[in-house]
Amino acid sequence: MLRKTLSLIITFDATVQAMAAESCLQALGLPGRLIPVPREITAGCGLAWKAPPEAQERLRAALENANIPASGYHVLMV
Amino acid sequence: MIQVNAVGDPCPIPVVKTKNAIRELGGPGVVETTVDNEIAVRNLQKMARQLGCESKAEKTGESRFLVTITVTETAQTPAPTAEESCLVQPGKEKNTVVVIASDQMGMGSAELGKTLMKGFLYALGQQESLPRTILFYNGGASLSCEGSPALEDLKSLEAQGVEILTCGTCLNFYGLSEKLQVGEVTNMYSIVEKMTQADCIVKP
Repeated sequence: MLRKTLSLIITFDATVQAMAAESCLQALGLPGRLIPVPREITAGCGLAWKAPPEAQERLRAALENANIPASGYHVLMV
Repeated sequence: MIQVNAVGDPCPIPVVKTKNAIRELGGPGVVETTVDNEIAVRNLQKMARQLGCESKAEKTGESRFLVTITVTETAQTPAPTAEESCLVQPGKEKNTVVVIASDQMGMGSAELGKTLMKGFLYALGQQESLPRTILFYNGGASLSCEGSPALEDLKSLEAQGVEILTCGTCLNFYGLSEKLQVGEVTNMYSIVEKMTQADCIVKP
């Protein structure tokens, strides 16, 4: 059975940005994974980074550092 | 509290036994039923909801689930004559087979295709109704092997009862025979059988 957990969902305006975020965050060993944007969120392109909410600041810093713009940070049950 | 053992009982016996136990309580109380499959868990929880009872389910071991139903003052007593039927029947669910023939979804950019395939397998595991079988062959065979970005999702699908089969000829061809990480190895006869017996084939 599916168990949903409170997750941080980072959305992006463009698919290439989401894919760049995946390479960047994985290379840095930061937590999370690329998933299709959950139905609850309508913003952004079709892909999002899902991670534990407590990683938000580290992920935000890494993305800003790499100049990858995120379109939104959402915390919801996924 | 009444404990019911419905391990090994086919549907709808776990529901019948549990309803009898609720009747036996004759009022508020708790019934704990042990079953060996998730379909039975879903049937028991559906029945509890219909009676207005609280229920919770937990996995207590390999093929063991404990469903705890709390009967309150306001809950209905199940009618003794009501005919039992399986609310959720595995056999009646559509036999959907998902066929993964490549490590990419669609044609075009290989990089995007791989990302889309990962997304597809993640979203597949989030569906209410899961396929019965997922077949992996040719380029798709690498997805059930070591180093695959989809392993976590496939293991979760397998844990939810989805059969995961990878073509042995393909594993051999790609030198992946020792690297399979989820599901079983299969052959062309089974692949043909699974596909011809399917109600619906999904090929991303």
